[in-house]
Amino acid sequence: MSSPSHSHRPRKKRKLAAALTRSPTTLDLVKFDTEDNNAATPEFPLVAFLWPARGTTSQWILLPLILMTAAIFRWSVGLWGYSGFQQSPMHGDFEAQRHWMEISINLPISRWYFYDLQYWGLDYPPLTAYHSWLCGKVGSLFARGWFALDQSRGLEDPALKVFMRSTVIISEYLVYVPALIIFLRHYSRAEGTGTTSSSIALVAILMQPATILIDHGHFQYNAVMLGFVIATLSSMYSGRLLWSCVFFVAALGFKQMALYYSPIVFAYLLGSCLSPRVRFGRLLSVATVTVLAFAVLLGPLLIGSVFDSYTTPQLSDLPPPPFLAERNIRLDPNSPAEMVVLQISQAVHRMFPFARGLFEDKVANFWCFTNTFYKLRKLQGIIDLPRLSAVLTLASILGPMLIIVAVPKRALLLYALATSAWGFFLFSFQVHEKSVLLPLLPMTLLLGSRPGLSKEYRAWIGWANTVGVWTMFPLLKRDGLQTPYFVVTLLWCYLLGLPPTSTNAYHDPEHENIPGRPLAPDELRTPTKILHFQTYVVMAFWHLLAAFAAPPEDKPDLWVLSNACIGAPCFGVCYLWCFWKLVSESGLLDDYSSTSKGEEGWRIAMDRPSDSDKGVI
Amino acid sequence: MASAVSASLSQFRDRTPIIPNRPKPRAAREPGSDQWPSLLQTTIVATALKILLFPAYKSTDFEVHRNWLAITHSLPVKRWYYEATSEWTLDYPPGFAVFEWLLSYPASWIDQAMVRIENLNYDLWATVCFQRSSVILTELLLVYALHRYTKTSPPSTRRQTHVVALSILLSPGLLIIDHIHFQYNGFLYGVLLLSIVLARNEATVLYSGILFAVLLCLKHIYLYLAPAYFVYLLRVYCLDPKNVFRPRILNVFKLGTSIIGVFGVVFGPFAVWGQLDQLKTRLFPFARGLCHAYWAPNVWAIYSFLDRILIVAAPYLRLDVDYDAVNSVTRGLVGDTSFAVLPGITAQQCFGLTLAFQLVALTKLWLAPSWDAFVGAITLCGYASFLFGWHVHEKAILLVIIPFSLLAVKDRSYLASFRPLAVAGHVSLFPLLFTAAEFPIKVAYTVAWLIMFLYAFDRLAPAPARRRVFLLDRFALLYIAVSVPLMIYCSLLHSIVFGEKYEFLPLMFISTYSAVGVLGSWLGFMVCYLS
Repeated sequence: MSSPSHSHRPRKKRKLAAALTRSPTTLDLVKFDTEDNNAATPEFPLVAFLWPARGTTSQWILLPLILMTAAIFRWSVGLWGYSGFQQSPMHGDFEAQRHWMEISINLPISRWYFYDLQYWGLDYPPLTAYHSWLCGKVGSLFARGWFALDQSRGLEDPALKVFMRSTVIISEYLVYVPALIIFLRHYSRAEGTGTTSSSIALVAILMQPATILIDHGHFQYNAVMLGFVIATLSSMYSGRLLWSCVFFVAALGFKQMALYYSPIVFAYLLGSCLSPRVRFGRLLSVATVTVLAFAVLLGPLLIGSVFDSYTTPQLSDLPPPPFLAERNIRLDPNSPAEMVVLQISQAVHRMFPFARGLFEDKVANFWCFTNTFYKLRKLQGIIDLPRLSAVLTLASILGPMLIIVAVPKRALLLYALATSAWGFFLFSFQVHEKSVLLPLLPMTLLLGSRPGLSKEYRAWIGWANTVGVWTMFPLLKRDGLQTPYFVVTLLWCYLLGLPPTSTNAYHDPEHENIPGRPLAPDELRTPTKILHFQTYVVMAFWHLLAAFAAPPEDKPDLWVLSNACIGAPCFGVCYLWCFWKLVSESGLLDDYSSTSKGEEGWRIAMDRPSDSDKGVI
Repeated sequence: MASAVSASLSQFRDRTPIIPNRPKPRAAREPGSDQWPSLLQTTIVATALKILLFPAYKSTDFEVHRNWLAITHSLPVKRWYYEATSEWTLDYPPGFAVFEWLLSYPASWIDQAMVRIENLNYDLWATVCFQRSSVILTELLLVYALHRYTKTSPPSTRRQTHVVALSILLSPGLLIIDHIHFQYNGFLYGVLLLSIVLARNEATVLYSGILFAVLLCLKHIYLYLAPAYFVYLLRVYCLDPKNVFRPRILNVFKLGTSIIGVFGVVFGPFAVWGQLDQLKTRLFPFARGLCHAYWAPNVWAIYSFLDRILIVAAPYLRLDVDYDAVNSVTRGLVGDTSFAVLPGITAQQCFGLTLAFQLVALTKLWLAPSWDAFVGAITLCGYASFLFGWHVHEKAILLVIIPFSLLAVKDRSYLASFRPLAVAGHVSLFPLLFTAAEFPIKVAYTVAWLIMFLYAFDRLAPAPARRRVFLLDRFALLYIAVSVPLMIYCSLLHSIVFGEKYEFLPLMFISTYSAVGVLGSWLGFMVCYLS
């Protein structure tokens, strides 16, 4: 697997790598015994599980094992409930996805965005619709009745559930998983992460609880969109900017939520065309490819619609979307040009439901948090809230955008994407609690970076993920997914040595807290420890309350609301952490601060002679 | 700024150097004492998966065990073996009934309705959770047994034994049978392994014998392994190792009284009540046929398969065909199996064959009694009874796989015969789970297990001390490769080509295929064991 792709590397470098028996990240993985240098203890259980595979085990053995294990856990979560099970009349996301398969295989393409909008009308971009069409076609081979128009609404056949679950896992293994593997290969090479470390990161990312629970438990296809985003990143890392445009358009075309990342992707592409020198050719080709990709994305929908407008004489039941209707714009579906405008405007109208209000349900973001303490309704006459939301979102993403334009370095991408996605999640309009997957993705991918498995990164990424999945607990509870929630989350925390299963990332018994002792390079500062621990305690306590105590009668949503109100400030801290890391990694502050001597001293102390421990790693 | 503050603060500090309490130096590590992942770590991850499998398919065995909870909870002991409200009557020995009785108390706290006899097919969520978690919790005994196994093995083989222990802990057989299909094999094999491990040390051989007696009172299928125990305990514990004609009276007395004591406590009350005949009919239902509805992969599966072939070939070979029997074997009827062309088989013949092949292994054990030979003899007893037994269940393959695992990395020749067994044994369990939702789990888990452990065994098994006999190695590889198209055919192609017709065909292919593998591995193991 390795030899052909490495052939361009200079020989000298490889010899050097062979002489160093330890990769630079080894000290994050194992603790060496002070007396016996050969005795190494894994830092966290996941290391122990991949310990036997270090060294000479071929990736051809290791990779299938990792993928099969991840698949088994995903499929087992899928045995549990899904959203909307036995909840007539609307059911939930499962029914929505099934319904889209039903309408896409039964209706002419021009009516996809118009058919019975009250009952789960299509509100995702066209790639989701094509994907639904494909799944529906395949599913109809098994049983016609699963996707019979109108007849199949609310169908709850166990075989249908198996089929739908398999479409999720197959889509994920065709998009997300290969993208992740390739990305980690590029990423670890760029960062200098060791092979074992990057395998560990792969398992940790694949077992990320939030994605598993939402996609395979609650039922959605987020992994496809996230997979396209990872493919975008992967192409950026391998220097194939044009492919990254294509993949990002695919991500946008699958779920409009990928817009959370778009400022950074745009800024990076722009920045890499401007610095170190202005390259108009590159700028032009990036723009062309993006436009072409959009054309290909919309092509089937538009061509099909135009075809319909020729073949069907009277297409009367395609009303223009409200924002056009308000302005008295009439579009005739039988005129091809107007059909194109109609389809695009309707799709946009469906994807961005501005009429639905600032936030839906209880979401752990800025708006829900503020609304709890100060009713935003009171502001309605004074400030245009959507505009305020837009301004705040812009303000929150402006920082990372500017940094990326100024320093378009690949190493900063994940930090910037995470910052931008957190900004969107916290301040933007119509955020859903499931959208927390978007900021969590780049943050979790950071596990594959060079310091990714250090205590500091592990603690922060673990904390963000735990809080993230915890804020989705009310949603998962409605789907009957409490048990998988606890199992998958605790398992992940256990594997990464995080609270509540271990305090390993926060506390090192061999380095007691001596006053004046310099901090180890990856040691967390005391305020961080206090914050994290308090959050874990509060989350545990909240679970106890929500399980055993009834909320007061006049505030039936108290637990859900308190969940969101605790989550929101935590996510704010995550935003700040990502932003801070972005700023400090970007090197823009290097002139203002110098590395402290204590840290240097630690680095030296941690370097060990490499000849005494040959054969350990 | 910050450094200035800390500098000024440091003036007020206590300057006496603080010497951290260094952790006491540990005793020098034995080589290989720490193996990763540890049993505990693996147990935690495996338990997570097992909890996630709670809503998976469960067979009638689930209702069987719930019914036993109800019987033991609500009836006096006298009526345990006479109760027949449900068709799933109590047909395990009294020891297991007592185990169910103990479980029935927490069960009744959780849901009183679970332990009512008339609540047939009762499977509310609380009941499922309770029964499933009782399997997980009682399986901890297996973990303990494996822990003892790794601790008692010589340090030089720690790596091997640790991998073997992990392979048993993660066994797909146990996952499929216990955690999806539903049984308590993990617990029972825990007792068996503990007993085998105790036999390793001379000081604990007595306890090994007692534990095996307890195991027999829990499930009588382990009677198949009893000859190996009998010979080993007799030779090592009851007779003088130097002179077989000089019995060690004290040891004979200790072992005899304790085993009689165990059986007396368990079966005594039933003997007093005169219920032993009833117990016998419940525990040994000889009315059942030679083969189970789905043929266990043994000699009789191959025999039945040949019979089926000969039905087709009979007109050309001018053989007599018994037309009444043509439709019996493959129709999945429980009852007497009859063959159309080949001569019929009686229960006596089965037992004769089983005992004859067990004797071969026991002779070797008698002549050279060592722990390895003992484990080998157990394995061969399991093999003989599985291959030639009367009405064998496919689940009984664990009786072979689990003891064999302990020897699989002894050297490469053992591993060579373990490989086809691992593939065949687990593939033969697949038809237990026929639902679509469990298909990916059973296949992915088994394939992952096979890749992981056959690879690990391959790297750990040393070269054999004696000359290797390359009997079936090339065939073994071919054999393993055949499993892939076979599985594709049986799970997918057959239903596409034939639809609902010839439903027995995939099952017949799987069991015949697996039977060939089990038989081949048996031959290979015999060669290793006897040479």
